[in-house]
Amino acid sequence: MCLGIPGKVIEIHDEGGLPMGVVDFGGVRRSVCLAYVSHEVGLGDYVIVHVGFAISKVDEIEAQRTFEVLREMSKHDELDWMAELGGMPSSVPTTAAAGDSAS
Amino acid sequence: MKYLTEYRDASIALPLIERIRKTATRPWTLMEVCGGQTHTIVRQGLDELLDGAVEMIHGPGCPVCVTPLEQIDKALQLAARPGVIFTSFGDMLRVPGSDCDLQQVRARGGQVRIVYSPLDALALAQRNPESEVVFFAVGFETTAPANAMAVWRARELGVTNFSVLVSHVTVPPAIRAIMQSPGNRVQGFLAAGHVCAVMGWSEYEPLAEQYKIPIVVTGFEPLDILEGILMAVQQLEDGRNEVENQYVRSVRREGTPPARARIEDVFELADRKWRGIGEIPMSGLRLREEFAAFDAERKFGLGGITVNEPAECRAGDVLTGRLKPPLCAAFGTRCTPEHPLGALMVSSEGACAAYYHIAKHRGAAPAGVMA
Ligand code: SF4
Repeated sequence: MCLGIPGKVIEIHDEGGLPMGVVDFGGVRRSVCLAYVSHEVGLGDYVIVHVGFAISKVDEIEAQRTFEVLREMSKHDELDWMAELGGMPSSVPTTAAAGDSAS
Repeated sequence: MKYLTEYRDASIALPLIERIRKTATRPWTLMEVCGGQTHTIVRQGLDELLDGAVEMIHGPGCPVCVTPLEQIDKALQLAARPGVIFTSFGDMLRVPGSDCDLQQVRARGGQVRIVYSPLDALALAQRNPESEVVFFAVGFETTAPANAMAVWRARELGVTNFSVLVSHVTVPPAIRAIMQSPGNRVQGFLAAGHVCAVMGWSEYEPLAEQYKIPIVVTGFEPLDILEGILMAVQQLEDGRNEVENQYVRSVRREGTPPARARIEDVFELADRKWRGIGEIPMSGLRLREEFAAFDAERKFGLGGITVNEPAECRAGDVLTGRLKPPLCAAFGTRCTPEHPLGALMVSSEGACAAYYHIAKHRGAAPAGVMA
């Protein structure tokens, strides 16, 4: 019961004064109570759902940022290892690594 | 972004593990509070990959596991009553009571229904006015907003045949109890991301200060957990004891204020027993007096319940990090997920069940990240 799952809000409506909606979890759709997040959530936003209730909004910009930070971190470490193994300079400028991230 | 798969990328996880290993100049001991995190850590083998650098102790954050035996026995008593429809989250059905579980009560003719949301239980009460519908309101701060809303709505809609059997617990008092327990080895905590999504993290600041421990609010995916561990290890290495937030995408300092407000409306703090641990002062929630009409314990006059915990179960030692599940003598023999002796073997979020599944799985294939 304690596993909260992120899902996308695809429908919002009112049920007798209670803000409700439909949330899509990668193809599985469920009716979810949006009462606690209705002030900040619109169609297309992601929310964390626990036992049929949205308990917080997922901040897309932060989600992207966390992921990028981790990805950069792992790249740097990889470059460090390569350097340790010999052949490459140990200090590769951040921008070079960032430029590669599209690949 | 789908906010799931991205945070399971092995090509990022493995360097992160290496970074944690390099950062730790000595072995550190951390506790993840939440059962969902335990599940990820054991399943992905993160604990083994970090072996020697960081030891993870699996905390008591699984509601299925810590709901005290007498509340389970009360649930069993209610479910067996004629005229009662007993509703619950699915994972409570196989939690062993003193002499049976909810599933067995159902097999004997008790009306036990699984619901996904407590609002479904309320709707069931509206559709069955001739029956008493009782909902088993268990869980941490993550389920409290949902359970509070069900009671609030019942009053608003004038539904009188609906009540709740409350067994709610909260995380911060458990952290305090663990830090005060004799022989405690925990040096830092990963706080449960979704609990903090509701409550925020200001409650954790006095704990970090008082016990001089880093507390990192952490998400549930493998990369979240690894980053949380890295942040905690970095703090320990620097001699810092701060509350930090790894799970920025879902947790804000103040949490989700409307959800906190509704919890406050309906519940108040109370002493609660934790299965395997015992009573922790002010560690749970009970209904406020103005909602007494929705309190199943009062409505049905439940009492005089004597409980009988199997002596062999060492859940208390597991929950406080003194014993790893496979070292319990009953593990995998007299205690399995099919026939659990203790609650920790029931839910996949329970430490014993998590170890059991991975031990079985590893018989066939080696452990690995993102298996
Ligand atoms: S393995 Fe079973 S008996 Fe042993 S501590 Fe875990 S739940 Fe209790």
